[in-house]
This record gives sequence, C-alpha cells and structure tokens, in this order.
Amino acid sequence: MSRSTSNTISTPSSLNIVDRPLSKGKSEINLSSFAFLFSEMIQYCQDRIKAGHELEKKLSDMGVSVGPRVLELLVVREKNSKRETKLLGILSFIHTTVWKSLFGKQADSLEKSTEADDEYMISDNNMLVNKFISLPKNLSSLNCAAFVAGIIEGILCSAEFPARVTAHNVAVEGKKFSKTVILIKFNPEVIERNP
Amino acid sequence: MIYSLYILNKAGTLIYQNDYGPTEKLSHNAYIRLGSTFHSLHAIASNLSPAGSSSGIELIETETFKLQCFQTHTGTKFYIIADPNHPNLDETLQSIYELYTDYVLKNPFYEIEMSIRCDLFDYKLQRLLGD
Amino acid sequence: MNKKYDKLGSDVFNKVEKINSELFTLTYGALVTQLIKDYEDIEQVNIKLEQMGYNIGIRLIEEFLAKSGIGRCTDFTETAEVIAKVGFKMFLGVTCQVTDWDTEKKEFHLIIDDNPLSDFVELPDHLKHKLYYSNILCGVIRGALEMVQMKVKCTFVKCSLSDDNTCSIKVVLEEVLSDLVPVGYD
Repeated sequence: MSRSTSNTISTPSSLNIVDRPLSKGKSEINLSSFAFLFSEMIQYCQDRIKAGHELEKKLSDMGVSVGPRVLELLVVREKNSKRETKLLGILSFIHTTVWKSLFGKQADSLEKSTEADDEYMISDNNMLVNKFISLPKNLSSLNCAAFVAGIIEGILCSAEFPARVTAHNVAVEGKKFSKTVILIKFNPEVIERNP
Repeated sequence: MIYSLYILNKAGTLIYQNDYGPTEKLSHNAYIRLGSTFHSLHAIASNLSPAGSSSGIELIETETFKLQCFQTHTGTKFYIIADPNHPNLDETLQSIYELYTDYVLKNPFYEIEMSIRCDLFDYKLQRLLGD
Repeated sequence: MNKKYDKLGSDVFNKVEKINSELFTLTYGALVTQLIKDYEDIEQVNIKLEQMGYNIGIRLIEEFLAKSGIGRCTDFTETAEVIAKVGFKMFLGVTCQVTDWDTEKKEFHLIIDDNPLSDFVELPDHLKHKLYYSNILCGVIRGALEMVQMKVKCTFVKCSLSDDNTCSIKVVLEEVLSDLVPVGYD
C-alpha cells in the first residue's frame, strides 16, 4: 500500500486515511444489523429488476465490488503474504481464510467437479447471509448468496484467477432445508496455466 | 399441550394461524373472524377495566382451554390456546416473539403487516410448540 | 439513569449473535456505491438511504423491544438515552452521546464516535457535504420511533467523512401519535 507524504485533501488536524493504522479486524457487530441491511438490499434489487433471474445478477454485481477489498484486507493482515499463484492455493485461501474472516468459520467443503475440468464447488450447509431468509414458492431456485458468489468472483478476478461464480441451492438428504453450493467456473486461461 | 397460535397485526388483522395439537380445523375465513373478534374483545376489555389503565386481555381461563395473550409495544398481538392446566406461557410467548423478529421481520420477501408465509418461521415454531 | 442504560446496552450486546463488522461495513459500502450508480442526483441517494433506513427501523424496533425488555419511556429525554446507550450499542456495538437539548426538550443531537458504517471510507471531494453517507441511520431512528408512536425528523448535521470532526444527527420530535397507542398502553 502506498503512503502519501503530502496532505492535499484533509485539514491539518486529521490524518490522511492511508496513514491511519489498519484495525486488527476483530471488531464485531450484531448479526441482525447485517441481516436487516442485506434484506433491504435484496428488496432494493427486486424493485429495480424486470425479470426474475436478474435479481441474482444484481446481487452478484454488488458483491463483485466488495471482493477486491476483502482480498487486499486479508492479504495485508496475513503475516507472510506471498502472492498466490496456484489454483488450489487460492481456492484453499477462499475456503479457509476468506470464509473464516467473513462468516466466522471455514466453508464446509471444497470439491472439484466430476463433470468439468474448470469447475470447483465450495459448500456451506448454513450460509450465514441466508440465515433468516425463507424463499417464496415462485422464487424457490433463487439463492441470495449470489452476493457472496459476487464477492468470491471479485476476489478471484482481482487475484488474477478470472472466473464466473454463482450460488446454488442443493437439497440435502434427510434435511428440510437445502445447502448453498458456490460454483466456480474458471476461465480457460487459468486452467491452461495450471496443468 | 399447546393447541394453536394466532398472531394479529397492529390493525387487528390475522396474519398467522397454526395448530400444534389435536384441534378442529376451521376455514380460513373462520380464523380471520376469530382473530378480529379477539382484537375487539381485547380493546373493549381494556376500556371496561375499572382499575384505570389496563393492558387488555392477558389471560382467559375456562374448563376446556386457556388463552394467553402478549401484546408488544407496537401493537402486534401473539396469543396461544392451550389446555386448561398448561403452565404459564410467558416464556413461550417471548420465544415466539423473538422467532418473529428473526424469521419474519428479517425476511426480505415478507411484506410488513401482511400474512406471514415464511418456511423457516413455520419450522422453528413447530420445533418450539409441537411435540 | 445513564449508568443503567449503559449496562443494559452492554448486556444485550454481549448476548446477541455477532459477526465480523467488516462484512457489514463493506456491504454497506457496496450498497451506497450502487445507489450512486443508479441515481444521478446525489440528493436522491440521500433520500433513498433514509427510506431504506425507515424500512429497517420499522422492523428492527420489534427485535429491540423483544431483546432489551425496555418498556415505554416516560419522556423524550429518556427515549434519547435509550437510543444512544441501548439501541446503538445493541445493533452497532457503539454508544453515542446525547447533547444540545433545546429548551422544550423536543430536540437533541446524537454524537456518534466510531461509526462502523464509515470505517475505511473516504469521500471524494465532489461528494463532501453533499452525500450523507450514513443517512440510513436517520431513517432507522425515524422508522423505529414511529412504531412506538413518536413522529420525528432526523437529519445529519455533521459528518466526519466531510471533514467535520464528528458524526452528528439531529433528532426533532414532531408529534406524539397518541391515537395510535396500542390498547392499554396509555
């Protein structure tokens, strides 16, 4: 991160924002606050779209702008931050570090798709952002974790692993409610350089 | 044994009804009428009270059932019909209120003051009130 | 009175389920930037943020009442303390100061130090003094109070992102909606 030496914007008394110490990332907030904010965001998106399937795209777009910031934050905080160049490395970083930082725990699983070489899946049995959301019958295939998929897409693209990332509901045997599967489809150039 | 739960919005309209024990199933309109009737009785009781400011009906005890009602400061009413010997339902009503604040009010697809149709809310209530 | 609400605020905050505040801060940032993209006029963004806050406030009040156990406040000064010490603490993890009461006790200022919404945020010059970044909070207060029969107007008077040294919201009590008080609560 670059440090500026001249104060061009701020008044003499306030510190330039990049000179301020970065917090340790331990501060916490009520889950409800996030839930209310997220709920309002979803309603905002719903009001602006014309067709049902656009809701996920709009949520995902909002997540994409968050992604690079999460990446920068986490990389700066890691003690020996070497730039990740291996595919499995970045996936593991997302499954473990990113999930833990955002949601308080690791993702439940990381798998390679058996059907396509360029697809990987990260599952979460209890997606935090969906905790209080019940889908209406006419939107049963919607997964509001499209926002999280957007964040992951933003992280991957920013880390030079361009991919298309989407969120899906997958039924779980014996359980009433489905789990969330984040599907990551890497661009061909990523797969080519990672044999 | 808890028989039924009713939730009324501020205007006194029924927004949720479900049964958790062996009880006769009525038509949807009948439930709506029962809800409005209770809302009116609740208001009348408060005005009738000789003791000055009264909070409206909190408990009705009869030989065949017990009805306990909880009204929030915003006017939403939760009431339970249970067997006549059922112990005090304060904690249960408080738990239901908290489930409502979580699984109904945080649901982006729920329109406030309207009928509640939230799967997670049903599921959590069933676990709390069912056998 | 102050001490008891400070303690209540901390107690309730300790009991609620919590998450990393950064997800919240970044999500809010994404929302604000999306609104700026969607609306050309910054004043419209301010209005939309307030409206969204209102929608949140009318729902959030129920959770606040359920978890804090707070009953009816005896007067507006008590309401102010409850918002500053219990409400803000419970939902944002920070307490505020209540200052600058007017003579009739119908108007006060809420000073927020350490607003988690604006962590890491820097406003570009052309938005300073135009965009009320945390305007959602004004709506939340207005919506929440309306559900307990108080009609208020909330406006941002100072914002640290616009080079003021604090974040300050003015709350004005316009009307007590006494005919809407739930039965038995007068």
